Amino acid sequence: MAPDTYAVEVEGIAKRFGKQPALDGVSVRIRRGEVYGLLGPNGAGKTTLIRSLVGLVAPEKGTVTVLGRRMPQLPVLARVGYMTQQAALYPDISAEENVRFFGAIHGRENGVREALEFVDLWDRRKSVVSTLSGGMRTRCSLACALVHKPDLLLLDEPTVGVDPQLRVQLWDGFRKMAAGGTSIVVSSHVMDEAERCDRLGLIRFGKLLAEGTVAEIKTRAGVDRLEDAFLKLSEVSES
Amino acid sequence: MSGRRVGAITKRILQQFRRDHRTLGLLFGAPLVILALLGYLLRGGGDVPRMGVVNLDGGPLGGIVASTLKSSKTVSASSLAQADAEGKLRSGDIAGYVLLPSDFSAKAQQSRLIAPEIHLEGSQPGLSQSILQAVSQSFVGLAGQSGAIQFAARVTFLYGGPSFDTLDYFGAAFIGLVVFFLVFVITAVAFLRERGQGTLERLMASPLRRAEIVLGYMLGFTVLALVQSAEVLAFSLLVLHVHNVGNVALIFLLEALMAIAAVNLGIFLSMFARTEFQAVQFIPLVIVPQLLLAGIIFPISTEPGPLQALSRVLQLTYAVEGLRNIMIKGADLSWSSLQLDLGVVLAFCVLVILAGATTLRRRIA
Ligand SMILES: Nc1ncnc2c1ncn2[C@@H]1O[C@H](COP(=O)(O)OP(=O)(O)O)[C@@H](O)[C@H]1O
Ligand SMILES: [Mg+2]
Repeated sequence: MAPDTYAVEVEGIAKRFGKQPALDGVSVRIRRGEVYGLLGPNGAGKTTLIRSLVGLVAPEKGTVTVLGRRMPQLPVLARVGYMTQQAALYPDISAEENVRFFGAIHGRENGVREALEFVDLWDRRKSVVSTLSGGMRTRCSLACALVHKPDLLLLDEPTVGVDPQLRVQLWDGFRKMAAGGTSIVVSSHVMDEAERCDRLGLIRFGKLLAEGTVAEIKTRAGVDRLEDAFLKLSEVSES
Repeated sequence: MSGRRVGAITKRILQQFRRDHRTLGLLFGAPLVILALLGYLLRGGGDVPRMGVVNLDGGPLGGIVASTLKSSKTVSASSLAQADAEGKLRSGDIAGYVLLPSDFSAKAQQSRLIAPEIHLEGSQPGLSQSILQAVSQSFVGLAGQSGAIQFAARVTFLYGGPSFDTLDYFGAAFIGLVVFFLVFVITAVAFLRERGQGTLERLMASPLRRAEIVLGYMLGFTVLALVQSAEVLAFSLLVLHVHNVGNVALIFLLEALMAIAAVNLGIFLSMFARTEFQAVQFIPLVIVPQLLLAGIIFPISTEPGPLQALSRVLQLTYAVEGLRNIMIKGADLSWSSLQLDLGVVLAFCVLVILAGATTLRRRIA
């Protein structure tokens, strides 16, 4: 396969904070136009892996290639959207002003309405962010990450605090974006979201335990449920 | 009221501070540093104001006054020729001189009138006051020799004037200071909020260059700072009638430079703080020592020697001096002292802009 078929190529990266290893030799390949689920419990290293994709974490070992460019590199970031785990917004300005700002710094002035409609916040666009509910802020944060129509969308636990109905709606949206060629990385600790991903990476203690479709992973672990696959594969990797 | 619940809060507060070494250091270190500095400033055996004595008196009294002044502990007086004294007054080497005219003794003995001329530089009311006091004290001895007499000194001011008061003196400095410190604190806090609310992380994950972030911040806050500068200036001149003989545009230029420096100092120093709380701690650490040392309250020429050297490296010293040069002395761009003041403030601006941009890069890498 040509290298360009991958949106993300991570080769054996390692990062420790103090003595605590957060990533311990992780290699991941994410294809263009796929929805890749990064699944793992709290503290597994999901956020650290995503941050290293945009150059916020400098790995001690290994290489990161995003959209065909070795990271860290600034211009390629214009084609990447990053939604942080905590809704990172300016609380004193409106939802619309936030989305417009993040669009502008990525070099795109329009698309604000589309982004806000995608997260069902168009009616509340004039609300100052500090007056929005937690779930609404999460959605606004998502709108800020995709307003510039990125080729690669990194979503760190995007559906936490979002009600089930809207969650279904958002996932439909993600699938539609992927169908349009956008590569999406979604981290989650909720197993039922895994079913909607094209492929999964199971991560724990900074190590990638397994990678593949849901079915492949279940078969490999010889279990019926993803939760069990986690336990099974953890045992294998420890022994 | 439950003692346990109250106790839980008290305990939690102490626990919080136990881990915040910086705050602890500040709490117990800063007061000592500030008090030590103040003590050294006031008791460190600093210089007393320098003055000249021009004795043209044909009689014996002039000599007595001159030697009394020269042995005075509150001023440092030296005999000078009149032209020399005038030159030194203009160059700021002396804060004033007393001239004892040729008929000084005669007048004192015949008409019981003590009539010296006192020429003051006038831009620093504190120094003028010391000189006036020392001079009038030096005449006390004469009174004993010639009985009841009248003191009729003629006092002139090179700058300011008899109605020049403390507000005129401090006003010039404070126009710059108010802007500098408020803008500094607001920028530092705003930048730390960006860190705290996670938006800085997002900016760093965008194609924005560090220089673009610093420049954008600078321009945004500079707009606010310039409006504030104009407001402070207008209020000082139009409402408070602070003494000003200089060009208002020049004052504004210097103020604007200070505002830009403050914005960038705020960005730079906020890299060394994790929370808004820690940013506020820069006030006693960075601001109070500058207030004491920049010649705002205590004239630099009267500070103890080592502190004078320290004052001379603070940009605020030059900013304050520049504002006073313009407002009190009417300096314009042809004055070399004002050129120096503006040059130092400008250089400081460039320095903090570069410092802010490079530190931002380092902290993110
Ligand atoms: N900035 C940091 N400083 C210190 N430790 C960190 C930092 N970021 C992450 N860690 C540690 O790295 C490990 C992985 O964290 P993270 O990637 O946030 O996990 P996840 O997102 O999967 O919950 C955790 O043990 C966490 O405590
Ligand atoms: Mg996380």
